[in-house]
Amino acid sequence: MAAEKKLSPIESIKTKSEGLRGTLKESLTDEITGAVREQDHALIKFHGMYEQDDRDLREERAAKKLDKLYSFMIRLRIPGGFMTADQWIAAHHVAGQYSTGIIKITTRQTIQLHGILKHQIKPTLQSFNKVQLDSIAACGDVNRNVACTSHPAESDIHEQVHAYADKISKLLLPKTRAFYEIWLDEEKIAEYDEQDPLYQDRYLPRKFKIGIAIPPNNDVDVLTNDLGLIAIIENNELIGFNIAVGGGLSTTHGNPDTYARLATVIGFARGEEQTLKAVYEVLTIQRDYGNRSDRKLARLKYTLDNMGVEVFRKELEKRCGFELEAIQPYQFTARKDRYGWMQDYKGSWHYTLFVENGRVTNEGPTPLQKALLEIATTGKSVFRFTSNQNVIISDILPQDKNEIEVILEQHGILERDEDISSIRKNAIACVALPTCPLALAEAQRYLPDLITKIEPLLIKHGLSSEDIVLRMTGCPNGCARPYAAEIGLVGTSPGHYNLHIGGDREGTRLNVKYKEQLGETEILAVLDQLFQQYADQRNKGDRFGDFILKEVLHAS
Amino acid sequence: MLAEPKFKVLSELIGQLSKEELIWVNGYLSALVANPLPNTNTSSITQKITIAYGTETGNAKKLATDLAGKAKKKGITVKLASLDQYKLTELPKEEYFITVISTQGDGEPPIGAKKFYDHIHHNGFKLPQLKYAVLALGDTAYPLFCKTGEDVDKQFEYLGGQRIAPLQKCDLDYETDAHAWFDQLIANLHTTAIKTVVTNKPVETPKTVGKQYYEGTVLTNINLTAKGSAKKVYHIELAADGIEFLSGDSIGIVPKNDEQLVQQILSLTGVAPDTKIDYKGESYSIVELLIAKLNIRYLLDKSVKHYATTVGQEINVQKTDLLSLLQQYPVSSKEQFLKVVEGLTQIVPRIYNIASSPVAHNNEVHITVLQDVFETDNGVEKGLCTQFLESKQEGDRIQFFIQPNKRFRLPAADKDIIMIGPGTGIAPFRSFVAERDATGSIGRNWLFFSEDRFTTDFLYQTEWQAWFETETLTRIHLSFKNGAENYVTLSQKIIEQGVELFHWLEGGASLYLCGEKEPAGKEIEAALLQVFAKATDGTHETAIAYLEKLKKEERYAKDLY
Repeated sequence: MAAEKKLSPIESIKTKSEGLRGTLKESLTDEITGAVREQDHALIKFHGMYEQDDRDLREERAAKKLDKLYSFMIRLRIPGGFMTADQWIAAHHVAGQYSTGIIKITTRQTIQLHGILKHQIKPTLQSFNKVQLDSIAACGDVNRNVACTSHPAESDIHEQVHAYADKISKLLLPKTRAFYEIWLDEEKIAEYDEQDPLYQDRYLPRKFKIGIAIPPNNDVDVLTNDLGLIAIIENNELIGFNIAVGGGLSTTHGNPDTYARLATVIGFARGEEQTLKAVYEVLTIQRDYGNRSDRKLARLKYTLDNMGVEVFRKELEKRCGFELEAIQPYQFTARKDRYGWMQDYKGSWHYTLFVENGRVTNEGPTPLQKALLEIATTGKSVFRFTSNQNVIISDILPQDKNEIEVILEQHGILERDEDISSIRKNAIACVALPTCPLALAEAQRYLPDLITKIEPLLIKHGLSSEDIVLRMTGCPNGCARPYAAEIGLVGTSPGHYNLHIGGDREGTRLNVKYKEQLGETEILAVLDQLFQQYADQRNKGDRFGDFILKEVLHAS
Repeated sequence: MLAEPKFKVLSELIGQLSKEELIWVNGYLSALVANPLPNTNTSSITQKITIAYGTETGNAKKLATDLAGKAKKKGITVKLASLDQYKLTELPKEEYFITVISTQGDGEPPIGAKKFYDHIHHNGFKLPQLKYAVLALGDTAYPLFCKTGEDVDKQFEYLGGQRIAPLQKCDLDYETDAHAWFDQLIANLHTTAIKTVVTNKPVETPKTVGKQYYEGTVLTNINLTAKGSAKKVYHIELAADGIEFLSGDSIGIVPKNDEQLVQQILSLTGVAPDTKIDYKGESYSIVELLIAKLNIRYLLDKSVKHYATTVGQEINVQKTDLLSLLQQYPVSSKEQFLKVVEGLTQIVPRIYNIASSPVAHNNEVHITVLQDVFETDNGVEKGLCTQFLESKQEGDRIQFFIQPNKRFRLPAADKDIIMIGPGTGIAPFRSFVAERDATGSIGRNWLFFSEDRFTTDFLYQTEWQAWFETETLTRIHLSFKNGAENYVTLSQKIIEQGVELFHWLEGGASLYLCGEKEPAGKEIEAALLQVFAKATDGTHETAIAYLEKLKKEERYAKDLY
């Protein structure tokens, strides 16, 4: 490895940041701008925030001699996507008071609020702190929010597996108290030891994502994570996890060295101690071997491919002090949320509520935000977020089910949910315009309309009940995991998308770029033709992605 | 040649002198003939005059000071007094009393002269000993030109005073006329007995010598506030040939009435639009007059009274406009309407601080105009000038004149300045900082600004940012309500920064305040006094004295409206 290569500028910002403090305190007192100072840009991410600006307004504001409309997105750390009713109520009020009012459920089971102005950051974080919520390490070159299969009815031992999300999140938190000092006005504690054996002063070369799945449902898209844990259950007992490393979907247009990659399963870790040790040491390998010169080539997937899977596994075993066991057999058969009511083995009820693009609002005919607040106010449920950006109104005792059902009924949700097509329920889009600085094209603002135009095509070909996975992003960064979809649309320029097809339904195979730079008419024409071919030629049980791979991609 | 008694005295004296003394007296008298001693050849000589001034913008003060200096040089004892300081009990003791006084907006005296004005009008005393003259400053663009001066002149006559010079009315370019008048007055004091009662026909500067109007072309007219703001603030850029102004000056714009409204009025009365009318010595068509010269919206009470008398009706409405009157109380003939027109007042010009620097902005005039909207019984309405300016687009023309603001000037290039400009009060400071940036002035610049919302109402934000980055703007402190009940007000910011602010002032900095008089201007001045008190001995009196000292040293200037 070319160790002499110049380090990326972010590296020195991290090492000089004095525990991620930088000049954030000073940035907050700069009254002349709504932005933070240049180097704090990178640092504020480690505190769970992105500085953004409304790109739609840039030109107009410049003519008015106004600076860009800077605001901050705050993303919470919610391991496994679990929130109490009180926490939801707090989030609801904070969103209304300080942000755009919309609560956005992310593809990693957390929530984020947009449009928070610089002077509102502290009150926002202080309000969250009152209900034990924080945004530490929700962004930045650290372990991000840990995702985990969300539906308690997936397995009798769901609770046991789910607990790992929280354990891992805590294990991998940075040790600095900067978050508490800067945002919560905590006094600096002199004797507190901020030595961080995991992150040191340089943190990771790039973001790091961990997901935990309970087969057979791959709802968390476990193989798209840097580190995936696949729960292995024997005789209704959790015995450990298969360890998968090197997943990651972000690519850069025009940079052939970048690629999407699904994680490689390299072995099995038995029991909690081995599992947590293996997790920890995967991060130390990435810390020590990851590329710190080129951030586009810094994710674990490149580290892994540079080392080779075998070498990587050996290094991991050396660091762990034990050998990984042979991979345990597992099988994924689905990658979906279980909409509507479901009962778990303990008898509790759960209602999975479809939230288009994860946007919980009162917009439109069904006031979701109002309904959820009312449900939270009963105190008779908790909330779980799914990797498909939906919410599960969860852990409802049988005697309380009716009360919740009435609220859902009153807000028109039960009626609405009956009419939502399968394609819409399985679709994901990233935020994109106007706030995401990377976006090249629309995504969440556009996908609902596009789906409205795709639905008639599916009906025409008799495919409306198929759970086809469609995902859209505004750039090649892959936040909505488009490369692991049966139909992926990746934005290239305003109104134009690359069309990827041939991924499988379970998320174990990447798709292939099929057409470039399509406008809406072309997208619809190509899909129409593909749907027709699928409807005409499929064998019984052929799923769309598999059929496409076999008949379209190989045939063409 | 000498009369007998004088000759006798001289002969007696000569008889007592030695030869040497006679030679000295001979030389002395020769020199005296060549260069006469002051006052020695006049008989009844004035020894003491009082010049009292009432000022708002500082013009009257400056003029009075100049005149006092001039008189002193001529050996006259002069007492110079500001009317806000003047002891009213002195008035009956005055012999020669010269008043230099300006007129504000609607014919009002300057705030500082209000007490004096009321005193002479309402206290029922007589001033038979008073020999007086009045120099009135005003602006011909206003209908009640030099009204206060006229009132004072008339009232002194009524109180039994003797006018020693005719009332002199001056427009904005007062210097020449004022000095000529004063020279004449002094000359009269020197000549034998003063002819006390002078004609009461005032001297007025001919109109043509009045202010110079420029024809500006609109280069830009944009609303500076963003969507979501509760207000609109227009930034208007004008280019005009041959224009001269300085940073700190203002412009006056005489807004025009809506053409459609005028057409509507004329069609109601049946008067032909091209009917010629004489107005102030010039001939206009009625349509021109109603569009460009006369106020037809929000009529003054006297216009309404005149209307009532003309049409022979009792009208008890306030805040009405010409069209409504015509609709409710129609005129009986075209002639009657023309009579009504005689009772209309002139459109008052609106004054705006220039927001551009002649050096930095290539002689363009920029102004920062807050949209004037208000609730009436007919719903939300816009001010006349707002309506007028809002409609102007790139390439349109606007007539304006320059209103010099002599007290609102940048100090020497190496001096620091502190600028407090809430809301549109920021305008002259954009001019100041642009000017100092363009000329490379080394003095430091500190801005205080407040508005409603940071995201939508930060006027000229990107420009301040650029000046801050390049260190032309040294410090900036801001206050935004941002819709919150509790926020740090601009006054509080000033108090927070008090130590540093006082430090700047002690280092010779100049302090400027511009913006709306109420409530911002008042609150800020109170905050400044608090800062001064804290930095000195803690008393309000010392703080006031400190502010007075700054004023005296011309290091504190305010332009509140």
